[in-house]
Amino acid sequence: MKKTQYPFVAIVGQERMKTGLILTLINPTLSGILIRGEKGTAKSTAVRGLADVLPWIEVIRDCPFQLAPSEPGEACEGCSRHGCRERLQAGEPPELSRRKVSVVELPVGATEDRVVGSLDLEHALKEGEKHFEPGLLASAHRGILYVDEVNLLDDHVVDVLLDSAAMGVCTVEREGVSHSHPARFTLVGTMNPEEGELRPQLLDRFGLCATVRGAESLEERVLVMERRVAFDEDPGAFSGQWLKESEKLARTMERALELYPLVTIDRSLLEEIARYCMEVGVDGHRGDIILMKTAKTLAAFHGHREVAPHHVEEAAQLVLPHRVRRQPMQDILEDVSNLRTAGR
Amino acid sequence: MKKDPCIRERPGGIPPVFPFSAILGQDPMKLALILNAIEPRVGGVLIRGEKGTAKSTAVRGLAALLPRGAVHRGCPFNCSPHHPREWCSSCLDRPSRATEKRRAPVVTLPLNATEDRVLGGIDFSATLRRGSRVFQPGLLARAHGGILYVDEVNLLDDHLVDIILDAAVSGENVIEREGTAFRHASCFSLVGTMNPEEGSLRPQLLDRFGLCVEVESERDVSLRVELVERRGEFDRDPEAFLERFAQDEARLAHHLARAREVVASLKVRGSVRNYIGELTQSQNVAGHRADLVMERAACAHAAWNGKRHPEVEDVLAVAEMVLCHRRREALPPPPPPPPPPPPTEDHEEPQEPQEPSREPEQESGREEEQGESHGGERGGGEDSREEEPPNHDGGQGQDQHFEVGETFAVKKLVPPDDRLLRRGSGRRSRTRTSQKQGRYVRSRMGGSGCDLALDATLRAAAVHQKKRRRDGGATIVIEPGDWRQKVREKRVGCFILFVVDASGSMGARGRMGASKGAIMSLLLDAYQKRDRVALVAFRRREAEVLLPPTSSIELAARLLSEMPVGGRTPLSAGLSKAYEMVRTRLRHEPNLRPLVVVITDGKSNVALGQGSPRDEALRIAARMGEDPRVHWIVVDTEEPGIVRFDLAGRLAGALGAEYFRIDGLRATDLVNVVKGHTA
Repeated sequence: MKKTQYPFVAIVGQERMKTGLILTLINPTLSGILIRGEKGTAKSTAVRGLADVLPWIEVIRDCPFQLAPSEPGEACEGCSRHGCRERLQAGEPPELSRRKVSVVELPVGATEDRVVGSLDLEHALKEGEKHFEPGLLASAHRGILYVDEVNLLDDHVVDVLLDSAAMGVCTVEREGVSHSHPARFTLVGTMNPEEGELRPQLLDRFGLCATVRGAESLEERVLVMERRVAFDEDPGAFSGQWLKESEKLARTMERALELYPLVTIDRSLLEEIARYCMEVGVDGHRGDIILMKTAKTLAAFHGHREVAPHHVEEAAQLVLPHRVRRQPMQDILEDVSNLRTAGR
Repeated sequence: MKKDPCIRERPGGIPPVFPFSAILGQDPMKLALILNAIEPRVGGVLIRGEKGTAKSTAVRGLAALLPRGAVHRGCPFNCSPHHPREWCSSCLDRPSRATEKRRAPVVTLPLNATEDRVLGGIDFSATLRRGSRVFQPGLLARAHGGILYVDEVNLLDDHLVDIILDAAVSGENVIEREGTAFRHASCFSLVGTMNPEEGSLRPQLLDRFGLCVEVESERDVSLRVELVERRGEFDRDPEAFLERFAQDEARLAHHLARAREVVASLKVRGSVRNYIGELTQSQNVAGHRADLVMERAACAHAAWNGKRHPEVEDVLAVAEMVLCHRRREALPPPPPPPPPPPPTEDHEEPQEPQEPSREPEQESGREEEQGESHGGERGGGEDSREEEPPNHDGGQGQDQHFEVGETFAVKKLVPPDDRLLRRGSGRRSRTRTSQKQGRYVRSRMGGSGCDLALDATLRAAAVHQKKRRRDGGATIVIEPGDWRQKVREKRVGCFILFVVDASGSMGARGRMGASKGAIMSLLLDAYQKRDRVALVAFRRREAEVLLPPTSSIELAARLLSEMPVGGRTPLSAGLSKAYEMVRTRLRHEPNLRPLVVVITDGKSNVALGQGSPRDEALRIAARMGEDPRVHWIVVDTEEPGIVRFDLAGRLAGALGAEYFRIDGLRATDLVNVVKGHTA
């Protein structure tokens, strides 16, 4: 029996985080979001609650690598599922199934071989045959890889994530296994900055970054308590109340998904983006590219076909805070627009 | 029904590669990669730069431009028919093998690769099936004749770096492990990318790279816009984008192939050769590799530009790439740019600003000497002495703040080896590890079969084969009793406790600034080694935990810069507090080997009990020094004057600690590092 999760739409406030999460769902090429904040600010709740609004995808039935219908290829070598390989060789289309994007949780203590996959040793010794046992990255392909307390992740696991995130391919070269399979996932991480910062290279891989803090106003705090109590008393009924909202959001996202490829951006706004990034001091060009994509996704989400200046401004608040060049030991900013005006 | 509209899938699921010719700007990087492709003997390219500057994109794009060469069909080692001396044993057996044309490979070395896959090792299934050892070639074999690409090369495990270096130097891969002995040719050029923020590269490896280029983001708005547009276009429709650049790609590939044909026949004139020699000499470059690399790179550059002889301008065009990582003084700058050193910096005079005050310094030294002897005799006499230093800088008991002084690269501080297993990661000390990671040093009996040492297991099983063998099934029958597990060794971060003297005496004459600079340098080092840190400061009457153990180096740095200074020196209290904290940590994690760095001038004038504070501190120190689990380091902040007390030195002696002066921490002092390790 699956536990009912607190619905995403019922979260009070935290607009920036919610927008960020939605944008990464609409556009997986934004490559994920990092949510920073103190304890008890609905970080994990938000990610787990996404279940209701996740988009649908089509996959090959029971494929351990979550391949899309157009994807089978190299990854299938050494896959233990003979059924679909035979179909492919016979030129038949593979069996498909439709399901929601999956959220795969990467536990902080995960070992490297669980993450990238390893040799199925039992099988190798019994049958004298090599089988690749896919790891978490295979399960997360085309889905969401969620790391709670991402800053506490073991260093070598981070290296593996960096490798795969950079290329969209997970290459395994260990202990007699040589295998590669596509691994494009949306990385969603939550962290409490008090416990240490992320390594710069990993930080850069998160497309977006949102800082959350506890609600400021009394009313909001009361509202949080009321909703939480209502949920704890009867999760089913509470979710039922919010079902309509969830469905509405899911529909909006679906529309945005269709609209996104059609969204255009004016050249003057691209110049604005480039200038923005230069003025706040961003390393490299990834900031520019992600900012453009985010602004377009945001426009699509709001149902526009053209990016407007306020989309860029809003997107910048999500894209740039963690990219601004900092002094060696400086904290991450929350608001970049101040910096820009100060820089002028 | 939705499919992701944002990603176009390619057959095989491997995402399309952004074409090399579509990369805007970054000319030095592109040039270096091309030169290396023309003349692989240049010895590889290292690309250093901030994130998001098309480093990886360029290398991946290069793969499509590499020329096709002939190889033996089906040879796992990619033997070329033109070099019979390099043939592997199977090609030697069949000298007239069929050949095929193949693009030179770009092989990616993933950071998580294990040694057996890099070098080659035993082929599991074939070995079990046939019952005899079957060798499985590794990545070095696959990269033969092509490029071995390591993304984030500075994060690669040390032992892998050693292996790759060995092969790169000798052009041959020799395997002597897991009961296999094998050798095959492995000529490849190494291309690495790195972000210096994540730590720098070992000097040996740095020198192995023929060329090195620094990349940074473009500063021109319209170029940046163009760049973003191209990327957007590529993401929307990769096929159309590739189509658009197909012609450019073909032209580039053709040009490259032509240059590659002529490069070997280019002659270097004597005058140009002399010029190269003068250039490397004037740049104070270590060794002769730079000369050789520069000559080859200049030839490649000339060939690229269609010339018959390399000229001075070809040399100049490549000089920076050859020299930038080899110059002696300009060591690779540590990632977070330290404040620019004073223009006339010199090793003899590290504390330049204090030069003019040499006179008063000696004077006050004498004063302090008096104060010290008083303090030693009667317990209550310190106050008068204590007021002394603040007289220079401000009112009595006033807290002062000091800016963080100059930071520098610190030398290696490593606690001694031991035999305990640890979990975790990091880059400081070597340890035996219980995870499936790190270098396989040997095998041992038993285990659950999860990190199986196949070679040892097979050997153990071999003797029983006769009686176990039955018809059908595997050729070798292995039972759980034969299982051997790998014992591995790797590096882990450690726990560093900084114990800082924040008393008034430290505040005198910018000593605290220098000390803070030293601590900051250690903190930066701690970040790169992924250590956890804690901070204890002592002043006035007590010691205070400023920062409980954390991996947030940022927090430590902030606290450090805000740390007030002033008051008397309760050294004993500081030491006790530190030891208390270390002991608590040890109770949590008995395998921890903490490093305690005490930063002090060694003066003590507040005791915990009755009696002389200095003797008490030394007594406590001696007792703590007996704990073998803790590794102590004392950093002496006393100024190098004529009159020195060497109190910190005595403290170090009592603790059994390594003793450094602030300048002794600098990594530049290579001789000392070596001494420190052998001593």
